[in-house]
Amino acid sequence: MPRRRTARRLLALALPLILLLSACASDAPQDTLEPKGPIARDIDNLVNPVFLVAAAVFVFVEFGVLYLVFRFRRRHQDNDSELPTQTHGNTKLEIGWTVLPAVILAVVAVGTVSTLFQIEDRESDGLTVQVTGHQWWWSFDYDTDGDGEVDFRTANDMVIPAGQNVELEITSADVIHSFWIPSLNGKKDAVPGRITTLTLNADEPGTYVGQCTEFCGLSHAYMRQRVVALPEDEFEQWLADQAEPAEMPTEGDAALGAELFATQCSRCHLARGINDEQYEEEGSGDDLIAGEAPDLTHFASRGAFAGATFDLWNDLDGDDIVEADEIGVELNRADLEAWLRDPPGEKPMAPESRGMPNLELQEEQIDQLVAFLETLD
Amino acid sequence: MTETAVDEALPSAAGAEPHAHGAPSHETSTGISNEKLAMWVFLGSDCLLFGGLISTYLLLRHRSTSGPGPEDVFDIPFTSVSSFVLLMSSLTMALAVGAIHRGDVRRCRTWLVTTAMLGGVFIAGQVYEFTSFVKEGLGYTTNIFGSAFFTLTGFHGVHVSVGIIFLMSLFVMSLRGKITQESAETVEIFGLYWHFVDIVWILIFTVVYLIP
Amino acid sequence: MAIVEQPTAPLELTTGTTPTRPLGVFTRPQSTTGWRSWLTTVDHKRIGIMYGAASLFFFAVGGIEALLIRAQLAAPGQKLYSADLYNQLFTMHGVTMIFLVVIPLGAAFMNYLIPLQIGARDVAFPRLNAFSFWAFLFGGIMLNTSWFMGGGAEGGWFAYAPNTGVTFSPGHGMDFYAIGLQITGIASLVGSINLIVTVLNMRAPGMTLMKMPVFTWMGFVTQMLLVFALPVISVALFLLTFDRLYDANFFNVEAGADPLLWQHLFWIFGHPEVYILILPAFGVVSEIIPVFSRKPIFGYPFMVFSGIAIGFMGWGVWAHHMFASGLGPISVAAFSLSTMFIAVPTGVKILNWMATMWGGKLRFTTPMLFAIGLVTMFTIGGLSGVTHAVSPADTQQTDTYYIVAHFHYVLFGGALMAFLGGFYFWWPKVFGYKLDEKLGKWHFWTILVAFNLTFGPMHILGLQGMPRRMHTYIEGYGFEFWNAVSTAGAFLIAVSMLIFAANIIKSHRAHKRNPVEVGPDPWDARSLEWSVPSPVPAHNFDVVPTVSRLDEFWHRKYQEDETGKVVRVATGEEVAQKGDGTGVHLPSPSYWPLVLAFGLPLIGYGLIFNLGIAAVGGVIVVLAGFAWGMEPADDPEAHALAHTNGHGDGHVALTEGAGDGDGEEPAAVPAGTASDEEAGSDD
Repeated sequence: MPRRRTARRLLALALPLILLLSACASDAPQDTLEPKGPIARDIDNLVNPVFLVAAAVFVFVEFGVLYLVFRFRRRHQDNDSELPTQTHGNTKLEIGWTVLPAVILAVVAVGTVSTLFQIEDRESDGLTVQVTGHQWWWSFDYDTDGDGEVDFRTANDMVIPAGQNVELEITSADVIHSFWIPSLNGKKDAVPGRITTLTLNADEPGTYVGQCTEFCGLSHAYMRQRVVALPEDEFEQWLADQAEPAEMPTEGDAALGAELFATQCSRCHLARGINDEQYEEEGSGDDLIAGEAPDLTHFASRGAFAGATFDLWNDLDGDDIVEADEIGVELNRADLEAWLRDPPGEKPMAPESRGMPNLELQEEQIDQLVAFLETLD
Repeated sequence: MTETAVDEALPSAAGAEPHAHGAPSHETSTGISNEKLAMWVFLGSDCLLFGGLISTYLLLRHRSTSGPGPEDVFDIPFTSVSSFVLLMSSLTMALAVGAIHRGDVRRCRTWLVTTAMLGGVFIAGQVYEFTSFVKEGLGYTTNIFGSAFFTLTGFHGVHVSVGIIFLMSLFVMSLRGKITQESAETVEIFGLYWHFVDIVWILIFTVVYLIP
Repeated sequence: MAIVEQPTAPLELTTGTTPTRPLGVFTRPQSTTGWRSWLTTVDHKRIGIMYGAASLFFFAVGGIEALLIRAQLAAPGQKLYSADLYNQLFTMHGVTMIFLVVIPLGAAFMNYLIPLQIGARDVAFPRLNAFSFWAFLFGGIMLNTSWFMGGGAEGGWFAYAPNTGVTFSPGHGMDFYAIGLQITGIASLVGSINLIVTVLNMRAPGMTLMKMPVFTWMGFVTQMLLVFALPVISVALFLLTFDRLYDANFFNVEAGADPLLWQHLFWIFGHPEVYILILPAFGVVSEIIPVFSRKPIFGYPFMVFSGIAIGFMGWGVWAHHMFASGLGPISVAAFSLSTMFIAVPTGVKILNWMATMWGGKLRFTTPMLFAIGLVTMFTIGGLSGVTHAVSPADTQQTDTYYIVAHFHYVLFGGALMAFLGGFYFWWPKVFGYKLDEKLGKWHFWTILVAFNLTFGPMHILGLQGMPRRMHTYIEGYGFEFWNAVSTAGAFLIAVSMLIFAANIIKSHRAHKRNPVEVGPDPWDARSLEWSVPSPVPAHNFDVVPTVSRLDEFWHRKYQEDETGKVVRVATGEEVAQKGDGTGVHLPSPSYWPLVLAFGLPLIGYGLIFNLGIAAVGGVIVVLAGFAWGMEPADDPEAHALAHTNGHGDGHVALTEGAGDGDGEEPAAVPAGTASDEEAGSDD
């Protein structure tokens, strides 16, 4: 962790200082003090001086009290019948320390309001993604040609072009959630019946993680999301790929898996090109009985599954994040199989009303499904 | 619950007047009796209760995704008449308070009963109104307007009904000789409550029925 | 200087005010000792003690919930228990600590102290006071019985719609939440009306508003906040209850509802609530610091007016809880500004406490240490609060552990520290013996360290991006170390509170074995409660004091000599009242507050499970209300008795000069000792 951040924490936290030194030992991908885009940086630039002011006040009060405690403590030789000078107050002084904080706060207020509007006034550079919170995963709808119709829907991983303002239109299908990628911007609630907006901008291509921050029921802890920023050209390619339906595997386990998928999973999951018909027939669309589950058409192009709770691909460089170049290399077979074996055992859900039930699959069937899912790139 | 404050203690920090029934105390720091002050504070609190309910109604009334809406069910002439009846009850309440201050227990009793009857007419009107709305298809759970409307007016109706019960209690007390010129303040304090409930109704009637 | 006595009021009894037994069947309970007397007491001191005891009990319950939470979070990916149970635990922890611990702790101190500090014999409505306590207790018990009836509330103490609707929270937990809080809300509302009237109306002669102790002032502001904030949460809870039990549509998004309605209603109550929790603590500290600095409070008017300012401004900041809800930039900017400026009056208080210590002779008794604990720890919470007011920054901080750290510094480091200090400070007044100072200091230092160990790391966790209300967290995000530290700290807090419990037991035993008179004024204190014996006799004051300035009691001990120097002219013993007043008429105990309050949770259970039970509860409430109205002001047979003193181990020390109820007028009381005064009567 960079020194600068450590120093700021020391100032910001107002805590026993020694404890803090070891704060730097760990890597924190969701760190709020490490902006990776211009909007998050605006916030950071605003909050840094506030932390400094707070630290100054902290030092003044805490050391002031320490000073008072030592300077004015009753000493053994003191004569208890002697009273200290009985001061009742000092109006000038008190007005002074009423006005002074007010002035300091007024300065902070100016910065706050201007940054607030600066962030709110950011315009999209073209791309708008519709973000919908579900218990307990996020779906992302893309309308690439701007005709007002959703062209494709993806889940867990939101892909954006790097270096551009991307506008999110956020809502929820059930309860209130909150979308948050700390390194790109603050959070914004997903309120059912309302659309809130949030702008993201990532300086560099990369993967940025976050998670739902508004308590949304049973599996709130397992509702995560990732933003993958790609270079412009790769992003265009990604859009084109996602718009295509999946390719029906023709042989081997994958083909059997596709069949199994169509019979077992169509009530909730759609993979375009695989089970369109069955989904049309069986898909309840009823949000309450799972019903609406992630679109799996390009499942294997994502870095994580099950509300981004589990990595879909092995993290080869050991930084705890599956980056774009690690996707498609080495499948995280163990977690995926465990998931198919017993979803509610892996992630708390209420299968009678929410989330994926245990389908009682045979090991053989699990292998087939995994083989099939791996083809959905 | 707090209505019982009316019957509550009559303490005085320095008073030498043990348990005079309902008589105003002149020994409090403010000069206002504890009971009356408590009633004022309670009514202040109750303002916020109705404030919350009225705000809720205003926010929700046009958000229904299905009918019927206000314009489909309201019978404004009918409600105007019952509102007028309730307003008249404020007048009779004031007459009751005036009578007891003069020591005219008999007339006070008459006005108390009249007030209760007018309140009863208002409640009967509300019951009639509610049943006719239900017949027209607006139940409590029908839509969001229904929930908000019945809750707001229902809370007011409960306030009026509680008031009627207290009026009847005052009436019974007066028959038992408990209401005298000395205890005029008890009637007066109840009068505060009754006027408050009426004023709230004027507000509700305006907000719910008159403002489109 | 001689005590200025209030002239004896002329005894003037009109005929027809004789206590009668209107229906013959209603009598008032008579026992003044034994456990039964606690059930029927209307004595504000005993009610205060019961509030304190009940709060400590609920503190243990909420504390165990906290320990379970911390145990689960000690390491990543732990599965000590289910996510569902975790959600219930953090919800009930919050609900318990806020509604069943800190609010009633404030009520405990205010009930006990406000009448004493303003020179009154009781509160304005003693029976209503008893009712408030029982309703709070039964409401709290009802909330907690949900654990045995299908599980506690699981939607968070803030209960955001629509997650708390039947669709998403199908169990009964949220029903218990909505109805249980409604009952404790009724309790607080009645209590606040009672105390407001008490402060306004029952002040001793000469006790103008600006001569009231700061604690009484802060209590008064708190009650004003309660009286106007509670109806708003009542509305919200009614709407939630109607939605859940009767299929209303208030939070039904499909029917067109707006979930933000709940948030506005909740926080319009919820933010004043924050000040309801902290202002009584500010009051406690404002009493302790001057006593142990041996100086008057610095800038009394500023202390009072800053408290009032907080009370007013507290209404204009609620939406800062909703900066991420999508309110729109204009509202966000407005609420940012108001939130920043509410820091000003709070800062004034901190600086005035420091100025009070400046130039004093500080005695570091346990209460003083806890008071300094508030000054230092609350400051940290206040400063992190200012960083939330910076709304763009708040969008990063909100709903993370940074917020959890913030409000624990405010509520634990602030409110609870002060109340613990208050326990040590007023314990001798209430029980007649001091708590052990050595254990007290152990208690303070362990809790200071443990508290910072628990909640300090949460700042770091929050800034590292760890959201709140997660039943677990995954490895590799830098959350492991500080969570482990925090858990260790939490268990150390438990140890520290056990020291407190041990202190109470030890001090009590030591006092039983070898009673040492602490006297009325063990700390050389300033306000009127120290001018009466410890423990306080049932009638509080033999004679109602006449007050001529702030800190009246202190000024009776210290005066300026010829040279203008302030010197001691009397000891506390000398100027204090002896507690042997006679002829004081006290309100009689009553069964009905208890019975009436008992009906409320029955109605609650009934609404949830079976309307038959609700009917029984309703009948109890109606009958008890009727009996309340009908019971005689005093039981004639009990007329010759009076209350025992504060904690029930004393015996009747008073002789009532009044007749036995046959219409005799009270006999003349010995001249010069006391007048026949009322401490507050019923009916």
